Amino acid sequence: MKVFNINGATLSLALYTDVTNSKELLESMQAGTLEPEVAFLNALLIPDVFPLLAAAHKTLVAKSRDSLTTRTLHSELVYNYSGSKHISESLKRYGISDNTTYILAARFDATPDEMKAIDKLINGKEIDLEELEGRANKSQIQKNYKISAPELGVSSLADAITCRIASRDAL
Amino acid sequence: MEETEACAKDSPLVLLKQGAEARVFESNFVGRRSVIKERFSKKYRHPTLDSKLTLRRLNAEARCMTKARKLGVCTPALYAVDTVLNTLTFEYVEGPSLKEVLLEFGLKGVVEERLDDIASQVGDAIGKLHDGGLIHGDLTTSNMLLKSGTNQLVLIDFGLSFTSTLPEDKAVDLYVLERALLSMHSSCGNVNVLFLIKWRQQTLLISHLVQYHNLDGSDTCCIPQVIKAVVIHIE
Repeated sequence: MKVFNINGATLSLALYTDVTNSKELLESMQAGTLEPEVAFLNALLIPDVFPLLAAAHKTLVAKSRDSLTTRTLHSELVYNYSGSKHISESLKRYGISDNTTYILAARFDATPDEMKAIDKLINGKEIDLEELEGRANKSQIQKNYKISAPELGVSSLADAITCRIASRDAL
Repeated sequence: MEETEACAKDSPLVLLKQGAEARVFESNFVGRRSVIKERFSKKYRHPTLDSKLTLRRLNAEARCMTKARKLGVCTPALYAVDTVLNTLTFEYVEGPSLKEVLLEFGLKGVVEERLDDIASQVGDAIGKLHDGGLIHGDLTTSNMLLKSGTNQLVLIDFGLSFTSTLPEDKAVDLYVLERALLSMHSSCGNVNVLFLIKWRQQTLLISHLVQYHNLDGSDTCCIPQVIKAVVIHIE
């Protein structure tokens, strides 16, 4: 688990592999009974924490202005990370599905107790965030974010994603 | 005042530059060194018009910067767009501007190899932009940075950029660069040489235009010559 400071708030991240109960996690999340509230992301599509922090920054700014697009703070994080304007499609792609085994859990302003509770919710093995880059599905990321070869010549994958997250509402 | 305070939550802001349209600050974005460009309101404009223009230009700049990257031209990575504070946050690029490099060449003598590399990078970048239908709008030597370490050319300030495929727009883009190079040269005060260069530039400009009309393509072969001609005569 790692905690990041964003504009005075914090974002706690924990990465899990070999998760066996994603179906239950998804069901309780959709029913709104997940306690504490947390964002589950498809970690295959996250090559680095930086774009996620940029999405978190965007989420916190929207929250401070009461202008969230989705229903909760944590679904907004997943939606913002997608860099697209389709909410349901974003949540499907960048959130978890029934058979996801590799998950990044994220929570804003989490207490140590809450992170322990999250750890208990997930049946899987926690691994270091450093593993994100090696495990990411680069071709899927390139396809989802429509990242061309010339762009990768001048930019890292993470920066290309960050640009899309930042410029979504300007398009 | 309120606006700066809102930004300052992230980290203290240091003013880097103040222009006619915007102020540029150095800051920190979730752990990375960053630059914040804030477009301020113009009091002489009608408030409704002012907010619409500011918003439209802010979005246009974000779009053009990311489009340039998609075309394979190096620009600072965009980190955030804030349409309430009218700010853009992007990557801090460490390194001198092309202007500083050229002036140094003028003072200390030209490093031929480096000049060749820079000149072909400039031509390559502009060629890619124009082929992709993007006009930079303010191609001056201070809007080109050379990243420390890699010497990679980075184009900045897309505040006047727009998309167009018209040869005239591309030619004007090149003309702006040419004027920028020439004015720099005149600040070095050698009138005779200036005359010589002007003559050279005129012929080059015509060749740009001819090339555009015939090929509607990139200008990769002409731009390096423009830069070289100017620098060599600064000496």
